[in-house]
Amino acid sequence: MAVKSARNSRIRAFSLAGGAIAVSAALALTGCTPTSSGGSAGDSDTITVWHYFSDENQVKVMTDYKDLFEKNNDGVTVENVFVPYDQLNSKLITAVGSKTGPDVVVFNGADASALALGGALAPITEQWGAFADKNQFPEAVVHSLEDDVYAVQGYVNLLGLWYNQDILDEVGVEPPTTMDELNAALATVTAAGKSGITLSGLPQSQGEWQAYPWLTSFGFNYDKPEAAPLEDAFTMIQSWTGSGSLTREAVTWDQTVPFQTWAAGNVAFAQNGNWQLGTARSDADFKYGVVPLPVGDSGKVYLGGEGQSIGAFSANPELAWDYLEQTYFSEEGQAIALSGVGSIPSRLDAASAPEVTEDPILAAFAQSLEQNGANYPSPAVPAVSIADQQLVVGQIWSAVIGGQMTPAEAATKLVTDLEQLLAQ
Amino acid sequence: MSTDLTVSGPARRTPAPPGRAPRSGARWHAAKRKRLAFALPAGIFLLVFSFFPLAQLARMSVSDVTARTLNQPWEFVGVDNFVGSAAQGSLFPTLGNTIAFVLIVTIIGLVGGLAAAILLSTSNLLSAFVLGLMVFIWALPPVVNGSVWKFLLGDAGLINSVITGVGLTQDAVPFLYDDRFALLSVAIVNSWAVVPFNALVFRAGILGIPAETFEAARIDGASRWQEIRYMIIPAVRPTTLVLAVLTIVYAFRSFDFIFVMTYGGPGVSTNTLPFLSYLQAFVRFDFGMGAATAVISVLLVLVLAVIYARSVRAEEANS
Repeated sequence: MAVKSARNSRIRAFSLAGGAIAVSAALALTGCTPTSSGGSAGDSDTITVWHYFSDENQVKVMTDYKDLFEKNNDGVTVENVFVPYDQLNSKLITAVGSKTGPDVVVFNGADASALALGGALAPITEQWGAFADKNQFPEAVVHSLEDDVYAVQGYVNLLGLWYNQDILDEVGVEPPTTMDELNAALATVTAAGKSGITLSGLPQSQGEWQAYPWLTSFGFNYDKPEAAPLEDAFTMIQSWTGSGSLTREAVTWDQTVPFQTWAAGNVAFAQNGNWQLGTARSDADFKYGVVPLPVGDSGKVYLGGEGQSIGAFSANPELAWDYLEQTYFSEEGQAIALSGVGSIPSRLDAASAPEVTEDPILAAFAQSLEQNGANYPSPAVPAVSIADQQLVVGQIWSAVIGGQMTPAEAATKLVTDLEQLLAQ
Repeated sequence: MSTDLTVSGPARRTPAPPGRAPRSGARWHAAKRKRLAFALPAGIFLLVFSFFPLAQLARMSVSDVTARTLNQPWEFVGVDNFVGSAAQGSLFPTLGNTIAFVLIVTIIGLVGGLAAAILLSTSNLLSAFVLGLMVFIWALPPVVNGSVWKFLLGDAGLINSVITGVGLTQDAVPFLYDDRFALLSVAIVNSWAVVPFNALVFRAGILGIPAETFEAARIDGASRWQEIRYMIIPAVRPTTLVLAVLTIVYAFRSFDFIFVMTYGGPGVSTNTLPFLSYLQAFVRFDFGMGAATAVISVLLVLVLAVIYARSVRAEEANS
């Protein structure tokens, strides 16, 4: 009887344990299974597109692309998935370990090398080679690594100098075309009780992107980093913060906030991009215009923008390529981004359309592209050091604007840090 | 057959009477197996979701793991990641920031929590409403909390509007963009988020003091301050120790508020160990170095966890 009781209790114990394990496993698996909205669903008629756009106009472009592709392809569904900018790269790279990820990814073009090295992007060399319109795209928008094409940009984004015409008229200043004119304009505007300029001083890649034109305008370059031009550039920036032309609060701003601050109407200038055209049209209740950043002959403006690629573990790479071909890489698709957010098309035929050449705002960006456009990231930075270089420059840019470092200290530290990174 | 799982350890180990030993021994073993069976799922869960990631973290901290090698075999590099992190010059200033941050959050969190608990230890409608509000604040996601405070602490935010409006200063206070204020501001906001939890726990401790004790003190002519000094503070001393350790651990692992409010800036002035670890691993994609910084954090938190466990055990023994 005792033996039977012990056996029964053992059976019950194992049953309980088994049940508990089964429930735990079920719960764990439920939490681990990729959802259709978060990764490749494996459904041949559905593709997921990861992006980091939160601006209303940029989100609308994504929705328009979805509608366009679904209209042209019966029974196909496009799922746009928002991933915050700061999380996109890490999510893509960590997803490689579980062999998951999106079908299409829209990311900061400068990160193409890091993502390709991390195995998050599928090479699109074959598809690109067979693409009939590939000659419409300049080489600068095709991102390659070790002879394979990994991403292409459907448009180019770059920075310009937005100005508030009403404020300039009020103080009798013309839009500046040189650095001296800009400094004089800032002094006049500030003396009149207005704010001078907004830009981003966030200690990360956005800060580096914004710093580059000012640093290069004094002769700095990544091929041979020198402290003297950096010190001059930082001295100018601190003269802006010292006079009140630029608020030190910029160190907490990403690129969206300074433009919204400018669009509120009390700031004369904003260093910001062509992608803000939709926001300017909808939010700026004053006359405005754009001139190229007055960075002189040596100054450079990054030709940035989002890269588009196919996820390394896309369940349907063919459909993903069709999506890219029919949206980002098509003339019709590039026209959508142009009208929606003012993105400058990368296709030569789309870029020569009257909508670009006859629009005074876009014409200013096109002029800047031609005069000062530079590859982003700089070819002098090794692929393995790009993330480090952007962070280091962004942090020092932030420290200069915040007044944490003197121009001389910042310049010396930046050159020391860069020399190590560029040597890798 | 039923087993009382609430019976304490020594009671369960009471020797069986002579003559019934074999049967009682079998029953004891069966009961033990059953208890183990109940503990097994939690054990497996802990193993998979806690020990395994920790072991992986430790392994990663002594390996060369970058975006390129993350999904390949990891090369052992010894203490190179720790040395590299220190050599880059960011580790020790960050450690200093972390200690300052933890001190501010712990002091304000505990003092604020106790003060709020004393004020709310009455049972009326107002204190119930304030308590409800505090629970709401405590339950708010840090990202939301941080975003709201970033807005409030801006040059044109509510706090600066009030300060300049009443004439305390002419210019806005640079709460988040001056390295003298930024760490302090984020730490205070972090403290503000932990005060409700501490207040709720302290309040439970205060409500545990018999009402007769307060009545007797008042009859003897004790003032409110004397009640606090000689009755409330001694009564909540064990709770304070436990809360202190929990608050320190909370402050130590704080990441969200810094991420949202300053991103470690201006420059690197609000970088703490968890944020530095994030930058190294997920911005620079040097997962090995990020893991090394995280391991340092884990070791420091582990010391606190031991103190916590011992204090809880001591409190249980006393009660």
